[in-house]
Amino acid sequence: MNRTLKAAAAAAAIALTLAGCTSPSKSPTATGSPAGTSTAIKESTLRVWAGSTTPITIDFNPFHVDTALYGTYGQLYEPLFFFNQLSSDPPVPMLGESYTYSADGKTITLKLKSGVKWNDGQPFTADDVVFTMGYGPNKTDKLISAKATDDTTVVLTYKTAQFTNESQLLGATMMVPKHIWSKIDNYMKETNKEPVSTGAYVVKTTSDASYTLSANPNYRAPVPITNVQFLGIDSNQSGQDLLTTGQIDWTGMFIANPDEVTASGAIGTMNQQQDPTTIVTCSDASKGCKGDQTDVAVRQAINVAIDRSQLAEKAWVNLVGKANPAFVLLPRDAQWLSDQSLAESPQTADAAKAGQILETAGYTKDAKGFYGKNGKAISLDLFSPDGWTDYNDAAKLIAEQAGKAGIKITPRTVSEAEYWTPVTNGDFQLAMYGLTQSIVADPFSNYDQYFNGLSTAKVGDGPTRGQNYSRYSNATVDAAIEAAGATNDQATKKAAYAKIQAQIAVDLPYIPVVLNASQAFFNVKNFTGWPSDDNLYADPLPYLSVAPAIVLLNLRPAQ
Amino acid sequence: MKFYLRRIAFYIITVWAAVSLNFVLPRMMPGDPAAIMIGKLRRASGGRQLSEEVIRSIYALLGADKNMSLWDQYLAYWGRLLQGDLGLSSTRYPYPVVELIANALPWTLFMVGTATVISFVLGIVGGAWVGWKRGTWLDQLVPATSLLQSIPYFWLALVLVAVFAVQLGWLPIVGAYDPFDFPSGPEWSWEFVASALQHAFLPALTIVISSVGGWLLGMRNMMVSTMSEDYVLTAEAKGLKPSRIRDRYAARNASIPSLAGFSIALAFVVAGSIVTEQVFSYPGIGKLMIQSVQGLDYTLMQGVFLVITLTVLAANFLMDLLYGLIDPRVRNDL
Repeated sequence: MNRTLKAAAAAAAIALTLAGCTSPSKSPTATGSPAGTSTAIKESTLRVWAGSTTPITIDFNPFHVDTALYGTYGQLYEPLFFFNQLSSDPPVPMLGESYTYSADGKTITLKLKSGVKWNDGQPFTADDVVFTMGYGPNKTDKLISAKATDDTTVVLTYKTAQFTNESQLLGATMMVPKHIWSKIDNYMKETNKEPVSTGAYVVKTTSDASYTLSANPNYRAPVPITNVQFLGIDSNQSGQDLLTTGQIDWTGMFIANPDEVTASGAIGTMNQQQDPTTIVTCSDASKGCKGDQTDVAVRQAINVAIDRSQLAEKAWVNLVGKANPAFVLLPRDAQWLSDQSLAESPQTADAAKAGQILETAGYTKDAKGFYGKNGKAISLDLFSPDGWTDYNDAAKLIAEQAGKAGIKITPRTVSEAEYWTPVTNGDFQLAMYGLTQSIVADPFSNYDQYFNGLSTAKVGDGPTRGQNYSRYSNATVDAAIEAAGATNDQATKKAAYAKIQAQIAVDLPYIPVVLNASQAFFNVKNFTGWPSDDNLYADPLPYLSVAPAIVLLNLRPAQ
Repeated sequence: MKFYLRRIAFYIITVWAAVSLNFVLPRMMPGDPAAIMIGKLRRASGGRQLSEEVIRSIYALLGADKNMSLWDQYLAYWGRLLQGDLGLSSTRYPYPVVELIANALPWTLFMVGTATVISFVLGIVGGAWVGWKRGTWLDQLVPATSLLQSIPYFWLALVLVAVFAVQLGWLPIVGAYDPFDFPSGPEWSWEFVASALQHAFLPALTIVISSVGGWLLGMRNMMVSTMSEDYVLTAEAKGLKPSRIRDRYAARNASIPSLAGFSIALAFVVAGSIVTEQVFSYPGIGKLMIQSVQGLDYTLMQGVFLVITLTVLAANFLMDLLYGLIDPRVRNDL
């Protein structure tokens, strides 16, 4: 069905993923303010399809992480800093000016920009930050106190070290005005049709087919693109048609033959490979998982039996990147890779090695050529959501490839609704599954979200924190994650990551397949200043949080 | 009079049964809407722990009250229904289902309704004509239109879009009106009506192309058999004008079975044309239905099904009454 939807769901997740990073006390200047252009800005409209479907229901509530419209995060509401997931550069100031962490990581001192106004004319002050940090879903019992020491300084004190929450607290918490939200009693029921925010845009018009944001006259810098119209479109084919006929200027979706779209020269494209696509296994029998995949030898055998280069070519027309078993994003996170042999998962099939692994573990081949133990052949079920054609194709190919190595896998598709429930509850053997890459140049959130024993639950329950659906639980890994989260020292952290990587690359609760492709398409004829491979100042995917707002401020209408 | 009373009583019971079924079905499905919504929020927030407050407020708004007996829930359901309250959608949270349906229904009635009427009129007039001229080259129209009907609809729609909207650029690709000219939505102006008509043309055309064959075939065959009736022969013997025989004698009687089919077709207009609305991003009921099923949005599903059921019943009721009026035999026999 609609691949963009899937990407969009992941996008919201990216924006809110916990992550760790070094804390710069001084940050570079904001991007996006045109250098000394004093001439009046020409009216221009940029049309975006970020993935909204019709009918559009107007909702600019930043606490509706699932249903808020695109543009809410970044264009309307702003966080304190922008964390660019494409680079390891320090965060860029937005509402914040700078921040410092105390040595133990429990106290954060924030310096805010002065003179910023909400779009209703009221000044943005430290009180608003204090209010936001303790409001609604931002509330946490880890926060001891939030104090405004003066109009532009906030001191946050926590019970535990917050190094790894940096991008969450400073890059994904949207600042809301105290004078509005303190009067709203049920923020979950609010649709916030006239948002009072600080961002570069304000809401101009809305309808069930589209909504338009226009430049905020009170914004602290010139806004070069005066109108941004977000459209609701229901199929990728329609999106592609509107793009090629020049009716939309910016979109992010999977197009198998991008050359066809870019041939005219009016449309530019960028393909980022970030999020790992994996085979998630219900790996831990002690947590209640059932099936042959609970034996680590079976997972290891599948890992070498699959032909990733063939998968990339046949299921993803070679648009995807190479995955690695250390779950770091290369080259961005190269400094965190402990062992060069983990830089890439095997790209070709090695049936002999798979057989060897299984035979060492006591499996034998039966008359039909399938491995088994105690007279029972290995038989695994691999499912993916119907209509996610890349996953469906990949699952079929994986089953074929594993079959050649003597491992019986049966691929199956289920409806999207029937996909999430078993994955969440652990009622599965193997499933095609996408992980969300850490938003900052540090793999911490990958490990904490997906491999931490604290992030999982017994089969039958869903995890309350994290998304460790593999039910993986390893004391060494858990201890290393805790150690990494409590420190800001590079060497200590790297040592902890080395322990984690050594364990998960052997245990393989998630068998890495490829790095998913995220394609952005944009009109280079009418607008200039898009991110490029040489200048990755922000991710050009319009469905992400915050990054699109940075891109918009860097664009110029073509002369 | 007794006939009408009986029919009315029958329909009251049917409506009660349909509405009650609509109450029971979602409760037989696995999972409750609040749990599904919390699961979705959990994924959307990247695994961040949801605060107790969020969970409580979702249960308060979407969850079934566990302290209420099924009977009390049933009474409350009727109470809400009679006030026109169908609950809140979970995929388009916190929008009320009634609002979503009210916005989608006019578009579906306009586009699918017009297309159904055009298709019917074309089929009946064409069928009468082909039947009248039976044995001539016109008979070729029957297999030709049937062939069009047998083309997979999805493919037909995509081809028409690729040719007329993308390559030639004559017609718009998606939507019910031009969002670029009318960024603030529908308004009462000639320009807007023109835009809406232009946008409805291609989707309506695909519906007509793929359904006219059925009407044409049925009408043509009825026409041929009616024309061998004695009263047509009598009319010819009386020396009536052929056009009068064709229109007043043959076509009029031949169209009765098609009319019955038409009432059912009209009732199903409300269900929208799921594939058409999906291909053309047309904001109708069919698309709401597909979205609600994909997103496991039980309240929206319930609302859409209720509206469809009630319209089908209403259309049948009207047809029953009309039949009683047209054909006295129906009234007496029952």
